[in-house]
Amino acid sequence: LDVNSLPRPLDVDEKPSSLTEMYPMNCPPRYFRLTTHAIPNSQSLLSRWHLPLGAVVHPLAEAPDGEEVPIVNFGSAGIIRCKRCRTYINPYVTFTDGGRKWRCIICSLLNDVPGDYFSLLDASGRRCDINDRPELLKGSVEFVAPTEYMVRPPMPPLYFFLIDVSINAVKSGMLEIVANAIKSCLDELPGFPRTQIGFITFDSTLHFYNMKSSLTQPQMMVVADLDDIFIPLPDDLLVNLSESRNVVDAFLDSLPSMFQDNVNLESAFGPALRAAYMVMSQLGGKLLIFQSTLPSLGIGRLKLRGDDIRVYGTEKEHLLRIPEDPFYKQMAADFTKYQIAVDIFAFSDKYSDMASLGTLAKYTGGQVYHYPAFQGHIHGEKLRYELVRDLTRETAWEAVMRIRCGKGVRFTSYHGHAMLRSTDLMALPAVDCDKGFAVQMALEETLLTTQTIYFQVALLYTSSSGERRIRILTSAAPVVADLGEMYRQADAGATVCLLSKLAVEKTLLQKLEDARHSVQLRIVKSLREYRNLHAVQHRLVGRLIYPESLKYLALYGLALCKSLPLRGGYADVQLDERCAAGYNMIILPIKGLVKLLYPSLIRVDESLAKVSNDGDSMKRLPLTAACLDPKGLYIYDDGFKFVLWLGNMLSPDMVVDLLGVDLSSFPDLSRVTIIGRDNEASRKLTRILRKLSESNPSFHQCCHIVRQGEQPRESILLLNNLIEDQNSGVSG
Amino acid sequence: MADTAGSDGVRCTFDVWPRTKIDASKCVVPFAAVISPIASSSAAAGDPPVLPYLPLRCKPPCPAILNPYCRVDFSAKIWICPFCFGRHHFPQHYAAISESSFPAELFPQYTSVEYSLPVHPGSPPPPPPVFVFVLDTCLIEEELGFVKSAVRRALGLIPEHALVGFVSFGTQAHAHELGFTDLSKVYVFRGDKEVTKDQVLEQLGLSVAARVKVGGMGVSGVDRFLLPASDCEFTLNALLDELEMDQWPVEAGNRVSRCTGVALSLAAGILSACTQGTGARIIALVGGPCTVGPGMIVSKDLSEPVRSHKDLDKDAAPHFHKAVRFYENLAKQLVTQGHVLDLFASALDQVGVAEMKVIVERTGGLVVLAESFGHPVFKDSFKRVFEDGEQSLGLSFNGTLDIHCSKDIKIQGIIGPCTSLEKKGGADTVIGQGNTTSWKLCGLDRSTCLTVFFDISPNERPNQPGLANENLYIQFATSYQNPEGQMRLHVTTIARRWVNNTASSEELAEGFDQETAAVVMARYTSLKMETEEEFDATRYLDRSLIRICSKFGDYRKDDPASFTLNPSFSIFPQFMFNLRRSQFIQVFNNSPDETAYFRMLLNRENVTNSLVMIQPSLISYSFNSPPVPTLLDVASIQVDRILLLDAYFSVVIFHGLTIAQWRNMGYQNQPEHQAFTQLLQAPHEDSQMIIKDRFPVPRLVVCDQHGSQARFLLAKLNPSVSYNSANDLAPGSDIIFTDDVSLQVFIEHLQRLVVQS
Ligand SMILES: [Zn+2]
Ligand SMILES: [Zn+2]
Repeated sequence: LDVNSLPRPLDVDEKPSSLTEMYPMNCPPRYFRLTTHAIPNSQSLLSRWHLPLGAVVHPLAEAPDGEEVPIVNFGSAGIIRCKRCRTYINPYVTFTDGGRKWRCIICSLLNDVPGDYFSLLDASGRRCDINDRPELLKGSVEFVAPTEYMVRPPMPPLYFFLIDVSINAVKSGMLEIVANAIKSCLDELPGFPRTQIGFITFDSTLHFYNMKSSLTQPQMMVVADLDDIFIPLPDDLLVNLSESRNVVDAFLDSLPSMFQDNVNLESAFGPALRAAYMVMSQLGGKLLIFQSTLPSLGIGRLKLRGDDIRVYGTEKEHLLRIPEDPFYKQMAADFTKYQIAVDIFAFSDKYSDMASLGTLAKYTGGQVYHYPAFQGHIHGEKLRYELVRDLTRETAWEAVMRIRCGKGVRFTSYHGHAMLRSTDLMALPAVDCDKGFAVQMALEETLLTTQTIYFQVALLYTSSSGERRIRILTSAAPVVADLGEMYRQADAGATVCLLSKLAVEKTLLQKLEDARHSVQLRIVKSLREYRNLHAVQHRLVGRLIYPESLKYLALYGLALCKSLPLRGGYADVQLDERCAAGYNMIILPIKGLVKLLYPSLIRVDESLAKVSNDGDSMKRLPLTAACLDPKGLYIYDDGFKFVLWLGNMLSPDMVVDLLGVDLSSFPDLSRVTIIGRDNEASRKLTRILRKLSESNPSFHQCCHIVRQGEQPRESILLLNNLIEDQNSGVSG
Repeated sequence: MADTAGSDGVRCTFDVWPRTKIDASKCVVPFAAVISPIASSSAAAGDPPVLPYLPLRCKPPCPAILNPYCRVDFSAKIWICPFCFGRHHFPQHYAAISESSFPAELFPQYTSVEYSLPVHPGSPPPPPPVFVFVLDTCLIEEELGFVKSAVRRALGLIPEHALVGFVSFGTQAHAHELGFTDLSKVYVFRGDKEVTKDQVLEQLGLSVAARVKVGGMGVSGVDRFLLPASDCEFTLNALLDELEMDQWPVEAGNRVSRCTGVALSLAAGILSACTQGTGARIIALVGGPCTVGPGMIVSKDLSEPVRSHKDLDKDAAPHFHKAVRFYENLAKQLVTQGHVLDLFASALDQVGVAEMKVIVERTGGLVVLAESFGHPVFKDSFKRVFEDGEQSLGLSFNGTLDIHCSKDIKIQGIIGPCTSLEKKGGADTVIGQGNTTSWKLCGLDRSTCLTVFFDISPNERPNQPGLANENLYIQFATSYQNPEGQMRLHVTTIARRWVNNTASSEELAEGFDQETAAVVMARYTSLKMETEEEFDATRYLDRSLIRICSKFGDYRKDDPASFTLNPSFSIFPQFMFNLRRSQFIQVFNNSPDETAYFRMLLNRENVTNSLVMIQPSLISYSFNSPPVPTLLDVASIQVDRILLLDAYFSVVIFHGLTIAQWRNMGYQNQPEHQAFTQLLQAPHEDSQMIIKDRFPVPRLVVCDQHGSQARFLLAKLNPSVSYNSANDLAPGSDIIFTDDVSLQVFIEHLQRLVVQS
């Protein structure tokens, strides 16, 4: 295998375009991508497709200006759905009987057109009013749902904070940053004036806060009985933000100082979690947890595990990556049931059992943010940005998502942070633009006889404005009898995204080695099949050949095996970091994932030295140390962090310009900042970094500066991640 | 021997004592003393002198303290203990005594003295008093407003250095951390779950373990919850401003859930973190029954009524014994800590005073029962607790009473606000708090009274020759912390005469104190009603009275007309007649809470006041004469008179019909009827005199003849004219609708029974 000959995804993420031409009414691919947009017509054909067959759904992907999903209100006609299979009306339905009937794309039933929705057909059989009907023109549309889509009045946006105030939380600076960040964005929380808010803080005891609007300051209510958790007030622990704004402000102002002298080491996390559940269960909402130490008291207390190297490589290895105490999974189930989504912000510098904590996010539509060894002066900005984004991004509440597909195909597994409520209904207490999902599909026994298979994603949710809505994403894909066509229509991004999620889940059931092996095996088999298909005609025996559509697959596969969740063994990644990375990979949409798997490496010293402003070269380089010129300055960007690599022979003037320090003085580069120096090079670098940041708004990228040869930082931050290099991803 | 009863604050049922148990039992009325352990004595005798030095004690094991009954040999500088007859040399610092100059504790008139125990130089100042307010929030808005302003007023009166704590409760109990300055902060406890002292300390972070866990060192940390009044006045006032009614919803058909028991445990737990010897009181302001958790007296279900006397009689009060047990245990904790529980109960319904009686009595707490926190009975009484100066109750702390008697006398026990310290040496038969010669009085004041019961049980061995004593001696030594926090030792020594001639009841009769005897009988009978099953109080009193009259009366057999009683006994039958009709014996007219309340006050008041509870006083005001005490009889009602009834718990001003008419016509406003104006005013002025000195403040009822409130007077009057005997009704007089016998009938019956052979 000649690595140098491998194609690399050095340009922008490529999206399949042929489909858009073939099925122009499909929803935009940012919402829904099949791993191959050619559905095999038989089991036997599928059995030769060694890659997973499925789709990646990103239901609330951010749309560029002007491409927002249109909102349709059917009013008195009600939402038009198939009587039999409940499919929503969409651009692919056909009208017959002079416009009085329409045929379902999924089950082919002829449905009556309701009187209020009737329209005459034109000569070509199209409805005369089609241009006023976005639902008949576009594959992505949102219906306003009437009351029969509600089991209760639409809930208000609700943010509940569960904040560790033990000594670690205070000393690391976390508490102060969190309090300030929350306060800074209170005006931007979605859903004004209905938004609700509440807080619990905890150490060895639980502290509730009465935020009643008539109070001048909140009342702190301490509950120290951890055996028998109860809440100290029937109301007012959760309040309307706009009504109680003064009390909330007063609380957030005094929160850091209130605990500044706290020396409590303990964490009654489990009891605090139960308390939060009791407060929130009436309404549901988002629970944001800030945890800086291992839960040590009461129900759900956790013990140190994972420091035993002997477990690795045995049948028990994967147990370290799943929660030990059933409490966490049970709590997650309870949270989902009451429409509570849990986001975990974890900060410990020691083991804090992310495997267990993350479970809470995994089944509730939540997210895991991990800031190992958090220090305010280093990671503060990242925490602030990501917390504010979490709070202010548009969020869909109390949601359920179902994907329907035509006869002959069925979905077999669902991946993402959600709870599967029935065989095909994903419960999502909250969902937003940073959450992606993947599904795997299988074929029914019989041969597919139709030309086209239709897919329809329906996300029923409550908007922050209090409207019940259904987002409908409809897609069509051709049915094929030819393996070659499947290869031609393959979508590498979607494939590797699904593959990644499957691989991460495998690490929860098996050894890391097994998970990596299964990724490699699929890719090898797939490429071998392709070669068999084409070897004869191309006479290229013995050389690796690959379809154009999957040209990066091998490299992505390699990167996946070297990614934090799958990499190496005991010593290569801290257990908590590995688990957190796994939770993250499960929700990452395609774009973020391929960036994470194959980060950008950009040389910038030449641009910075140039006088002119135009055309900053953003050329991406292969991820190998061979690309690193000691005279150069490089930015490594994986979407989560930047690494600024300084070659040994980088011009000292530039170093001083950018860092304000001379490398000969051996400064502590972990404490040097690069922002805001008054010279052209620094301004340019800042601009480049900002541009890179803007391309990935889901996270904040801290910029770590490392100089060539500065070990072990150079290896940890960069060299280990240069995935094309032999020894990357494993220690020693 | 001079009668020193007044200045000693000690009154005995008999002032001469027979030497044998049998003779004593023939006297029917127990040999008992009503004592005021730290009474500042009557005005005539002046306050007992305060001696700024340590008392001189006899040799162990005799605990006696030097007193006027000691014989002193001034030349040899020797004193002889009247209890053990031990002879002791005076120590060096008494060397200067002589017949013309000796220390105050030997002055014959100073049978009561008070030692002010010297403070070592450099020792810390006395700990400040502690007040923990425990406030019920399950109240209607109006009541909550009343009780808040009462607390505010109290805070304004508390000495600045006194420590204040605050607990509020409803469905749950809240301990307010007054020392937390960032926000208002409370620790919340479940209302339905018993909580031990250790759990309270642990959860509040006051236990040693908890303090280690959170990293705190050294100090107990209780200063987070108890702050000097001057430091937390602002916090507390703000807290009271924002304090709301219990927020938990009450389901239809249910009572509010009120966790009085947990709240009191919480307050007691906080106080347990105070340094030993701190004088502290829990001031519980309760507006309804405890319905959840420990101390619950009735369930939340409204269909279950609060227990009545009938239920208690039939043992059909499901929560009663459990609640009493809970309060008993809490009382034990408080007594160990030396702390007091004061109960201010204000509600139309019962709140559980009957169950909580034990904790109030054992700790020597105050109790006030009113129908509303807005009623003067509560408002004015509550204010008195905190008032300084002349009106001050002089609340003292941490009392220990030791009683030492001449040999042949043992103590059966005490009825009143105290707890036995179980220190051996008591009599075998126990009455009240017994099995000891030492009692704890966590809270006491100048008016605190106890009833001590004695057992005369002469030693089998004859007295040592020559040492046979004419007198018996009893010494009461009470150490306590006065309101200023100083330690005092109040010592009262009394001498009473032994009577040798057992055949003659004459001598005994002369020494009979019928007022004290009536009060002791009331307390003793009440105790029996509470502790003995199937006890028939009326029958017991009747039989006792008949026996007394048989023993001390003069009569010929079977000739009722020949019956006469020694003047020392003359009004005793009348006392018994009124006792039989009183709220102490006729409990069914009242709720168990009221009965408990009446009895607690009966047990802790002095003889005079207790007697008013048993037999109210009645004064008549008319044009023709100055105010005169008049018979407690319906016949005293006249249309042209005003009556002033003092029944202790209530004071009634009753206008005869004509007086009321004149008043309604406004004669009192006309200059020519000045005399009428004065007549109207006089009973009001006198009633204010009564109310001013009394704690709890009595209920003042002003009513007119035939008015609805007139029942407050009629219920107390002898029904000499009832509908049974209304034939010879004088115009303008009243009748009482009752089947009760009149005093006259009662006395006739008594005479007949006494003379029966
Ligand atoms: Zn259908
Ligand atoms: Zn002696």
